[in-house]
Amino acid sequence: MNPPRKSKLQHEQEQESEQTTQGQQTQQAPLEFATAEEAIRHDAAQSDLPPAIAKRLRDSIAREPKPAASWWKRLLRR
Amino acid sequence: MTALAPTVEPEQTALDDAEAASGAPSPVRVPLEPPELAAIYEEHARPIYYLALRMLGDPTQAEDATHDVFLKAYRKLGEFKGRSSIRTWLYRITINHCQNLLQTWHRRHIYSTDDEAVWERAAGAAESPLRLLETKELGQRIQKSLDALPEEYRILLLLVADEKLSYDEVGALTGQSSDAVRGKLHRARKAFAAHFHETA
Repeated sequence: MNPPRKSKLQHEQEQESEQTTQGQQTQQAPLEFATAEEAIRHDAAQSDLPPAIAKRLRDSIAREPKPAASWWKRLLRR
Repeated sequence: MTALAPTVEPEQTALDDAEAASGAPSPVRVPLEPPELAAIYEEHARPIYYLALRMLGDPTQAEDATHDVFLKAYRKLGEFKGRSSIRTWLYRITINHCQNLLQTWHRRHIYSTDDEAVWERAAGAAESPLRLLETKELGQRIQKSLDALPEEYRILLLLVADEKLSYDEVGALTGQSSDAVRGKLHRARKAFAAHFHETA
């Protein structure tokens, strides 16, 4: 008797799962660095920039006084 | 011993020095409008945040410092004459800002970087829980190793790690020749490696 056929979705999910496991195995090699800068570069690449900074900066800039118009612009407006 | 720029200096002097100290003229245009600031932020915010993070050892303080640095840059953009690269100019502002903060903190209390929550917040995106743990541990080890170094070596390593900066620019930022940078870098690497292995 033939075993029950797997649906296409089941088959894809199994393949994905296998690929993920293989990917993790190849990526999990221990981290080694030749120089201090290399370690720092790796650490920098892993340190995410908090998105809140951009919003705070936008708000702060919006509160900044507008630069005064130059004397010739004021003259032209008359 | 130290050839770093003075630790505390008036803000405008610091900004002027930052530009003047960076050496060769740069083709960078003078940005005046907020849209240009947005482009500058996009390109440089990440390295500026990282420098602040590793100088201050605290993600929240680094976040505040990055905000303050770019706000200062916004206020002074009109005075930026393009004698240095924007990144060098921003680094100078960051170094001065963080040094001022550190001086104030040290005067107030002894700052500890052993708070576990600090490291949790510092770790970025990772591929797996194991990698996340490794990243967190690496961040801790790098922070501890940098903290154990004299400030001059710490800043030198952080700047040299940025591949967009030349030795001349690092020298200009730290107030020394590129030859001196190379010499000190050798000692800084050795000291860092010794502390890094100790933390393993």
